[in-house]
Amino acid sequence: MKFKASFTDDGISLLDKRFLPAMDKVGRVCHVYFTPTHAMLLHNLLGSTGPDGGGPQCVAQFAKDLLFREYNVSSRDRNRVAFTVDIALLHRALRSALAVQAQSSAAGDAPAAIQVKLVNKQTAGSRSAAPFLMFETKGARSAVVQDVPISRPLSSSDVGRLQAALDAAQELPETLVQVPDLPQLQSLVDRLKNIGDLLTVAITQYGDLHLQVSTSLVTVGSEFRRLRILGVRANAPVGDQNLSATTRMDMAVERGEALSVQVNMKHLVKSLQCNLAKPDCTFYGIAPQGACLTVIFQYFIPGTRLMDKSITFYCRLPVLDPGNG
Amino acid sequence: MSSSTTSGRGGEDDEDAPDLVCQLDCVQGMVDALSSVRWKRHQDAVLELSEHGIVLIVEESGCLQAKVYLKRELFVEYDYAAEGRPRFGLSLGLLVDCLNMFSSPGHASSVEIRYPGPDMQLLLKSVASPDACIFSEIRTRIPDTLASDYHFQHAGNTPLSFTVKSAILKESIDDLEWPGSSIQIKLQPDPPSVIFKGEGHGDLEIEYPYYANTDLLIAFQCDREVSYRYKYKFLRATTSNVPSSVLKENRGSKVTIGRGGMLKIQHLVSVGRPGMQSYRNVAGGAQQPSRIAFIEFFVKPEEDEYTTDDP
Repeated sequence: MKFKASFTDDGISLLDKRFLPAMDKVGRVCHVYFTPTHAMLLHNLLGSTGPDGGGPQCVAQFAKDLLFREYNVSSRDRNRVAFTVDIALLHRALRSALAVQAQSSAAGDAPAAIQVKLVNKQTAGSRSAAPFLMFETKGARSAVVQDVPISRPLSSSDVGRLQAALDAAQELPETLVQVPDLPQLQSLVDRLKNIGDLLTVAITQYGDLHLQVSTSLVTVGSEFRRLRILGVRANAPVGDQNLSATTRMDMAVERGEALSVQVNMKHLVKSLQCNLAKPDCTFYGIAPQGACLTVIFQYFIPGTRLMDKSITFYCRLPVLDPGNG
Repeated sequence: MSSSTTSGRGGEDDEDAPDLVCQLDCVQGMVDALSSVRWKRHQDAVLELSEHGIVLIVEESGCLQAKVYLKRELFVEYDYAAEGRPRFGLSLGLLVDCLNMFSSPGHASSVEIRYPGPDMQLLLKSVASPDACIFSEIRTRIPDTLASDYHFQHAGNTPLSFTVKSAILKESIDDLEWPGSSIQIKLQPDPPSVIFKGEGHGDLEIEYPYYANTDLLIAFQCDREVSYRYKYKFLRATTSNVPSSVLKENRGSKVTIGRGGMLKIQHLVSVGRPGMQSYRNVAGGAQQPSRIAFIEFFVKPEEDEYTTDDP
């Protein structure tokens, strides 16, 4: 099993400035998964990956050429390698590699290359070798090596399960609505979370997004209307603007023109942390049969409004059994 | 009170018209005003609606009552269609938390308040934008009978009262936490002064002499000595949540001792938009009274008052 690659400048700054801070907020430990074509950071695909307990599934997938210049991964399991890593440690290693690189640039040297590889090392005081992700920053005058401890690589069957979970997550919601102002949504959810732990999310084919928290004493909600729609759409019934937001939502669900699910407020709060990865636009949708709430983040090719297909970033929030509500 | 108090609907031909639909252009002032009578986390309140405005009443242990008067002039719109004065109970904490949902810095926070909803709820709804709204429905209940013996009467021909900067009153009462549970308040005409005295874990006496500092007592009315004791925790409730805007605006609080030692403390909280308020100050010199919410606290004295000059 081998993995060796050199970071591109864009790739390392994407991880440092956007994705690692976001993924760290979703959970402390994540899966790193390398395939011959992609590198991925994954949360909760195989259930909980860390001591934080369950949470939203979160997938950040990058085309290998976006992150790496030279990229070699080989294993007996169709050249796929996966392991878990503490994101804070990974981020710290990346930041210090970047600092070394910046020093050598400031000294007028050619920028240092940052290489990463999978190694097995025997550490002091230990009898057996342990796996590490080794970062090597080679400048003209110095080289700095950092070892980030990782889990043993996942077994072939676990990698198979991981891939199966990824494949299963491919099914898109029929209707997606674009939330224009994620910070506004975040500030709303921050205030809603004082009211209750369960959040009802409904999305209509007219482009409406409803969030609602109910307890025995109070119902508080928010409705965003006429959002941009991707996928299946319908015309809003005439005269519905005179109804209350709750009635509008109930009628849309009854007509089969909306789906409504209940999610854990904490999961939604965590998924909103993905905003730290500064997506260019964000879509919310409910998977068919209300299987999960999907949040899809899109990136544009810099300087254009064209979707950057080399980054795939989404969250899937588990839906609570309404019977337990 | 009977259940009829919660259903003072309009005329028979207008069954669907709500008792009240009103709109507030800045929710923060109302949050401030209501927060000032929220001395504990879980607190029940009674709202009373009338053609003159909304009154919120909070009570504790039969010894402390607070009222917030939100006059109809504070609202941008105020459509009142009820007969009688509908009253209903709700959780003050929930009402404040819900109103807080509508106040976001940098955004207009106009909110429509409607009562009753289809299930007798109090309905709140943001009205700033047609495409994004926040709404809340607060369940109400039939209110308990309020103790009626908070009826405040002046003790004699001259009211016994003084007015002091709210910040100073708050600071004095905060300081009195140290000596203990019972605080004596004494007003005396000669020399004209107000004395707060706490005895318990040590003694502490705070005196406001009328002549010593003209800025201290803004007004003072007292024709005979009067002295009563009050439980510290109730006194503290009267100032502990005075909004910072009141302290910043350097407002005064009026303290009056009535018949039987009933203590009345009044604060004024501005409810206007911060921007508009300065405009008014420039144009009119002083804050317009229509943008002020009145807060009143009534505290009953302890039974064992040791001196009283009640007629």
